[in-house]
Amino acid sequence: MSRDLGETIKRVLADETDVRSATAPHQKDFPYDREEEAQVTRREFCNFLGLTSAALFVGAAGFAGKAALDARSTPQFRSSKIASAETLAPGSSLNFQYPTTKDSAILVRTLDGEFHAFGQKCTHLSCPVYFERLHQRLECPCHDGAFDPKTGNVLYGPPPRPLDPIKLEVRTNGEVWAIGREASTGEHSS
Amino acid sequence: MQDSTNQNNPRTVRNLAGEGRTAVAQARVILLVMVNVAQLWILAATVEAALAHRFSALLPLVVASGICFVVTVTLIFWWRPASRRFTSSGYVKR
Repeated sequence: MSRDLGETIKRVLADETDVRSATAPHQKDFPYDREEEAQVTRREFCNFLGLTSAALFVGAAGFAGKAALDARSTPQFRSSKIASAETLAPGSSLNFQYPTTKDSAILVRTLDGEFHAFGQKCTHLSCPVYFERLHQRLECPCHDGAFDPKTGNVLYGPPPRPLDPIKLEVRTNGEVWAIGREASTGEHSS
Repeated sequence: MQDSTNQNNPRTVRNLAGEGRTAVAQARVILLVMVNVAQLWILAATVEAALAHRFSALLPLVVASGICFVVTVTLIFWWRPASRRFTSSGYVKR
């Protein structure tokens, strides 16, 4: 018995030894609680950091891979009529959903009468942008970013890229149809 | 003179060796934490690049994260004190 105990103590005190497995037989015979039992050993903490590192690597690789795959596939968009767009006054805007009902978009008719449409999510942190009539620009209320209503380019603020443009088609009867959506790329451009 | 004293006194030798190992182990933990923080930053940059459709930045970021992971594995499994022989500081080879 004393020999076993001596071996157990030797194993516990040895560096880089798994303390919990070394003390398991002794704990079985003499169960008692110690504060040290609740503590994390250095080896356990190192293993946790290793697992965290693996998870972060897998996360980065997975996210990048999914983004690359999504970029390769060209989505097919259906044409969709934007209701009451033909009656939109110059210098005003209209919200609609495109390409799905979950994707909010904004149609702007500039003072020169042209139509422009963009996805409504700000490219900074996805807050919905709105058309600011006084200054004739699209603004993000969250972090004070602004976009050009004709091109979608960033005018100022933290957004890293332009708004996602929506392709429009004005048909002969004056109806405005959304026919496609693109993902904008690039840094600040003006 | 001090070296021979250390070598002849097993208790002194053992204590100094233990201190050395503790320093190495603590340095390893600190390095691991730093690498994890760097990987966290890389993951954030990857997500931002993917959302911004800057695909040219994705591969270097993933490679950087992979290198960090390799460094982590190396630190955990293979990073040990270079020498465990008797040294002037009393380090012991086992």
